[in-house]
Amino acid sequence: MVKAGLIIGGGIAGIQAALDLADQGFKVYLVEKSPSIGGRMAQLDKTFPTMDCSMCILAPKMIECGHHPNIELLSYSEVEEVRGSAGDFTVTVVRKPRYVDEDKCTGCGVCAQHCPVEVPNEFDEKLGIRKAIYMPFPQAVPRVMVIDRENCLECGLCEKVCGTGAINRQQQPERINLKVGAIIIATGYKLFDAARKEEYGFAAYDNVITGMMLERLLSASGPTGGHLIRPSDGKIPRKIAFIQCVGSRDERAGILYCSRVCCMYATKEAVLIKEHVPEAEVAIFYMDIRAFGKGFEEFYRRAEKEYGVRYVRGRVAEVIEDSATKNLTVRAEDIESGRLLEEEFDMVVLSTGITPNTVDILKNPSLISASDGFFAVSNPKVNPVSTPVKGVFVAGAAEGPKDIPDSVSQASAAAMRASIILRG
Amino acid sequence: MVTAMNGEEVRIGVYICHCGTNIAGVVDVEEVAEYVSKLPDVVLAKHYVYMCSAPAQKMIKEDIKEHRLNRVVVASCTPRMHEPTFRRVVEEGGLNPYLFEMANIREHCSWVHQDEPEKATKKAKDLIRMAVAKARLLEPLEKREVKVEGRALIIGAGVSGIRAALDLAERGFKVYLVEKSPSIGGRMAQLGKVYPTDEYALDILRPLMEEAVSNPKIEILTNTVLDEVGGYIGNFTVKLTVKPRYVNENCDLCGRCEIECPIQVPNEFDFGLSMRKAVYLPFRDAVPQRYVIDEKSCTRCGRCIEACERNAINLKEKEKIVEVKVGTIIVAIGHDLYEPPTGEYGYGIYDNVITMPQLERLLSRNGPTEGQLLINGSKPRSVVFISCVGSRQEPGIYKPLREDQKLNRYCSRVCCTSAIKNAIEIKERDPNTKVYYLGRDIRTFGRGHEDYYRRAGELGVIFMKYRAEVPPTISKGSNSLIVTVQDVLTGKQTISIPADLVVLNVGIIPRVDAVEIQNKLKITRGVDGFFQEAHAKLRPVETPTDGIYLAGTALGPRDITDSTATASAAAAKAAILLAKGKVELEPIVAYIDLSKCDGCAMCVEPCSFNAIEIEEYKENGEIKKRAVVNEALCKGCGACAATCPPKAIYVKHFTLDQISAMIDAALME
Repeated sequence: MVKAGLIIGGGIAGIQAALDLADQGFKVYLVEKSPSIGGRMAQLDKTFPTMDCSMCILAPKMIECGHHPNIELLSYSEVEEVRGSAGDFTVTVVRKPRYVDEDKCTGCGVCAQHCPVEVPNEFDEKLGIRKAIYMPFPQAVPRVMVIDRENCLECGLCEKVCGTGAINRQQQPERINLKVGAIIIATGYKLFDAARKEEYGFAAYDNVITGMMLERLLSASGPTGGHLIRPSDGKIPRKIAFIQCVGSRDERAGILYCSRVCCMYATKEAVLIKEHVPEAEVAIFYMDIRAFGKGFEEFYRRAEKEYGVRYVRGRVAEVIEDSATKNLTVRAEDIESGRLLEEEFDMVVLSTGITPNTVDILKNPSLISASDGFFAVSNPKVNPVSTPVKGVFVAGAAEGPKDIPDSVSQASAAAMRASIILRG
Repeated sequence: MVTAMNGEEVRIGVYICHCGTNIAGVVDVEEVAEYVSKLPDVVLAKHYVYMCSAPAQKMIKEDIKEHRLNRVVVASCTPRMHEPTFRRVVEEGGLNPYLFEMANIREHCSWVHQDEPEKATKKAKDLIRMAVAKARLLEPLEKREVKVEGRALIIGAGVSGIRAALDLAERGFKVYLVEKSPSIGGRMAQLGKVYPTDEYALDILRPLMEEAVSNPKIEILTNTVLDEVGGYIGNFTVKLTVKPRYVNENCDLCGRCEIECPIQVPNEFDFGLSMRKAVYLPFRDAVPQRYVIDEKSCTRCGRCIEACERNAINLKEKEKIVEVKVGTIIVAIGHDLYEPPTGEYGYGIYDNVITMPQLERLLSRNGPTEGQLLINGSKPRSVVFISCVGSRQEPGIYKPLREDQKLNRYCSRVCCTSAIKNAIEIKERDPNTKVYYLGRDIRTFGRGHEDYYRRAGELGVIFMKYRAEVPPTISKGSNSLIVTVQDVLTGKQTISIPADLVVLNVGIIPRVDAVEIQNKLKITRGVDGFFQEAHAKLRPVETPTDGIYLAGTALGPRDITDSTATASAAAAKAAILLAKGKVELEPIVAYIDLSKCDGCAMCVEPCSFNAIEIEEYKENGEIKKRAVVNEALCKGCGACAATCPPKAIYVKHFTLDQISAMIDAALME
């Protein structure tokens, strides 16, 4: 029995699973494909319904993961192949070249100050810019720079200014083999590509943005320093519409399931908008408000009653831009009044849904559900974290849309089940 | 000016965090640093964009060595967040971790004074000056370790309790699984089929119950209630009362006793839809497989004893007290169901208005009608479901029928999908039955749940939506009930539906004995009445009391999938503790100056943690009394210190001298 576990994905689910296994005394390899752990939760501004600052509650867990004596963090790495069976897996992990020596870099950021290349920052949903050598975000773990070679001009300035000689452009991908007894998949989710809903004009109109973009605009550490402005002209939007179920419960998009978090994140964002711009008018176009978790219903009612967020029951048919003002007309059915509605807004936010982010690392078709594309579990009622493959568990949104507490619970549960195998 | 503490010169380093723009966007951090650097005993004052980041941590550690700092103050966010981080940093820098003080200039300053940067800057100075004043008087404290008993207690043997028990047992730990009713299985045993797999609940639950029985690491105690809980994390002593079952292990389920028993009472397992005897088997698959006598309704007539050929009945059986020592406790007491007051949607007035749990029993193979949907002996031709009964009750809109009725504002999370699953079953059994679903929002959010909603529509279940302000009404028609609803999906038309059966989707409410469990375990409940987690987002199964965890619907409404996930999660937290075998205790506890304590005992009652006892001792032949603190139980809250008349108690790290110094500093300017 190999007394080590592998966690694939370093978002909040992967982090929690890693900590719960490591705290039981098992060795943990935490593999994250991007340069820092933290995942989607790191991008969020506040979390519903308690309005805790997302990074503020996440950062201590990230730091704990980075410091834990039983956790070996393999960031900027991907699982290439898994062989073997429960209790004795051999996993090949590719460590992608950062072109920066992890041991030498202090994360001081001088290189980035001198780097002449500016590219859209994916952490800010491309609303802001980063350099070709960059730190994904200020609280990144590990706190090490990375060079994006696709955009690098090879000018060598970073190498010249680095005080510790950490830049190494000769780095090559490195393959390592790990022996583990159990695997927890926590690969998270992708957001629905809003451009697919052409009628909402995401690709065509500047002021149609996604909920995740709005998170970055609202965040104090975001590209605008937390100032809510609209993309077309940098003005403060006074009238904002949210469109729900974009890429959820949508037969035309081929996604039939509910994404479970959008009602609440839209409500939270609407409240945050009202806090940033108290005079702003906010309307949310929805089919059903699914405020089902602890304190959710109460939060939703407060948003409507105390903050004056307007909830309009009805599907939006289309969004049309006024090319001169860049304002947007929303055409929708207002079901409760039984009328068709046409209303102009300064900005439209699309509440995009959660879609699968699955990699069939085990080359085993039973691992992924044919009906929704998320990782499958063999007994959803009484063992909701065990996949059909023995020794392989799943946690968080890799198993289907989930909010943070449900992801965290499932992560601890997956660690529990994995620890039974590791114990031997 | 230089202050000396224990003969040592005080050298304080102060670190001011920008927290990105959270603090620096309001507070002039440069000005604050400049001001603080001039305070007495402050050797240096620095500001930085994120003090919690790795380079800032490194800077603090290097400064401690280079500048011989012996006190550190960080002015940043709440200590709830980063106090552990900075204590570790200070310790790694070579200082005792308690020679560290935090000033909260974010939650207490920049966030709440966003519109007044100048005043906020002044307040930040005040807060830091106070922290520096306290830092001068800080003393080193040492953490202690206690051993952890390698066993767990699980309260409640529904699906969550069983799941947690199996996880811990399979992981190698001994578990006491305690259930107050005569069988394990809980609410899940009462269900018919479950979504999203359409299996019979018992077909999934039974194997788990059997595993729990056969696992040698699990000791099941049914008919057992929590009596007393003492001790603390790693070392709980729990007294349990095993109530008499009056039927011993000789019982072979022959059922003769039941036939002879003359007493009939409503069967709680069928929510009163059937009757049972005073001697009964809770349900067919009950575990343990043994009859039980309900002492409340039994008249002690003795006919069962005569009928029993195996000598299995003993009406003189007494209750037993069992004491167990465990390292950790998982609370999985589950939920009760909302019981509508008479008159709510005709409930209690019309016998064809039932609750959804009752419908589950009617659709269940092992139910009172063996799975046939019969109301007063005939099959309903028209069924109306009404959602959110006892859930989403909003003040000002929802009008309680009874004055003392508490409003349940929350959503019960499971009713929409359960009801739609049942609507489908009724439609599939007989497509000619008309089925209507009157909901507010349809909340089919879980994996596979939306498919049920769609399938129900395809099968011809008619969905209508009502607004909370205008709920449906029930009246008596000529042959059936009439449900009248203002349907928002059809432009608020008022529609009357004849109904042979009205099913109320009643919500999930806290267990009636939740208060008792709360008091015995000293854990907290939220405004909704369910047990409260230590942190809503990131500590969803922990309680604020160390070593006690929560699972399933004890936390709040959730379905079986989400319950068993929290059960395994709670088991993981317990397993960490049991695997470590020891636990570190915080040294910030109450301390008694015995030269001042006169044994008055005023401190005993204010202590919410039962951490103070009065002991007698002899001094010069005279018997005297004094207070003693159990440091493992003490949380350092200070309630005792505030009440002590001779000021004999203080809390370490929050001494009266330290607090006075802070107040003096606050009033200085």
